[in-house]
Amino acid sequence: MDLGFIAQYFVNGLVQGITYALVAVGFTLFFGVLDVIKFSHGDVLMLGAFTALALFLGLDQLASPAWLSLIIMLCIGILAMGLLGALLCKFLVLPLKESPPLNTLLITLMFGSVIRESVRLFFPNGSNPKPFPALLPEASINWGNLNLRLDSVILISTGALAIVVTHLIIQKTRIGLAIRAVAQDEETARLMGIDFKKTVLATFALGSGLAALSGISTGLYYQEINFSMGLMLGVIGFSAAVVGGLGSIYGAIVGGLLFAFLQTLGAIWFSVPAYKDVFAFAVIIILMAWRPTGLLADRSAERV
Amino acid sequence: MLTIHNLTAGYDAADVVSDVSLEVIKGKITCLLGANGAGKTTLIRSILGLNKIRSGRVSFDGVDISSFATHDIASRGITCVPEGRRVFAKMTVRENLQAGAFLERDSDVVAERLLQVFALFPKLEERFGQLAGTMSGGEQAMLTIGRSLMSNPSLMVFDEPSLGLSPLFVKENFRIIKKINEKGMTVLLVEQNVRQTLAIAHYGYVLSQGKIVASGSVDALKDNSELRAAYFGNA
Repeated sequence: MDLGFIAQYFVNGLVQGITYALVAVGFTLFFGVLDVIKFSHGDVLMLGAFTALALFLGLDQLASPAWLSLIIMLCIGILAMGLLGALLCKFLVLPLKESPPLNTLLITLMFGSVIRESVRLFFPNGSNPKPFPALLPEASINWGNLNLRLDSVILISTGALAIVVTHLIIQKTRIGLAIRAVAQDEETARLMGIDFKKTVLATFALGSGLAALSGISTGLYYQEINFSMGLMLGVIGFSAAVVGGLGSIYGAIVGGLLFAFLQTLGAIWFSVPAYKDVFAFAVIIILMAWRPTGLLADRSAERV
Repeated sequence: MLTIHNLTAGYDAADVVSDVSLEVIKGKITCLLGANGAGKTTLIRSILGLNKIRSGRVSFDGVDISSFATHDIASRGITCVPEGRRVFAKMTVRENLQAGAFLERDSDVVAERLLQVFALFPKLEERFGQLAGTMSGGEQAMLTIGRSLMSNPSLMVFDEPSLGLSPLFVKENFRIIKKINEKGMTVLLVEQNVRQTLAIAHYGYVLSQGKIVASGSVDALKDNSELRAAYFGNA
């Protein structure tokens, strides 16, 4: 196969992989601090994309320049989903802390359905796919068979930057120290004067903000969003987090990139793109049977 | 300094400790002795806000802290060296100590406290960058004490510091507790190792089946027959 084609697949896969990694990092953060799986994560992602779209439609009326619209959409979309994540945690997840984890899983699954159906019913013509504005520069460079789009480069760098910033927050800041302490030993963390609830809320806000970024990136890349986009992205993000080792940020990143790599490989092998998910999930199942605790969740892996 | 009035606490339907009153005196080592299952852990969890109190009151420096959240109790100056060397295993020694000083935002003050902890435990300075989980049991025990000191507490609660340590380290641990106390720290020492505890404590309480069965100065406790009864079956 031509080198340009391979490079093309690589770049496309990287855009996808970063998107998945952003979702997977959220799953891993929530599991780290609270040992819960928050299944509304994908729908929060979708709502982030729709919030950004609604903002765009409003800003368009005001004749706002594209770059300004984009910045406002990102900031408000991420902040709004961060807030939603914190509220969701405060009112649905934390009150269930002492009950079986299955209850948390169910209640967040149901809440996700509420978000999804609400968008379908209440967003104008919400049951149909919505065009998402192409706000990124359309320039591209051709090297043989590689068509390197500037928007891909921007999306990959933004996603990677977001992950690096998240990592720095967790490793270098005071709230990050609190998050890691709570993840490792909740009671001892509280004995050190760390406010458990505040820490968990901050973690949910952080993870949900990343989901919003992931949703908006998806919209910008495909220039189309729909109310059910969070389902598949949620399942993929969750699989990526699990296969990487739930609780490990590096694992989530590796898992996200791995999934995108497998999809790309599937698409090339079967030459029918529709098989790519079947192939990717099949390999993930095999990997999970081989390494039930995840690829990076060995003794040296750091949980959050 | 710390006063417990008629405290009752427990899990589910059962009261584990009932009607316990106790006082920790400033600048002294007060010990709480009791066999396994006597209710020691439940009692100190109640003091620290980790367990709900059924009835009774805990006051610290004249403030009723019975309904405070654990982190608020910590911010008032009570720290606990938890049972079983609960270090943050996947953090370095440095990060563990920083977590101990979580409530102090001034990095100069934190740096100064670090030096004090290193003066007491030179080993921790050597192991500064090491992951806490990879250290030996004795070193982890030092780290939990150092971590608690980092919060500059006014009361230190030690929950069974001798548990699971070799006799040599137990001796070392008690020596350190005594040393910390001699510098003015108020200590509540919860233990089942009677002899070594009574050797360093000033006042003591004996808990048996959830009730205080004996209390007083250490000298008085040493010849107390009820204490023997609580400890050596009904001898």
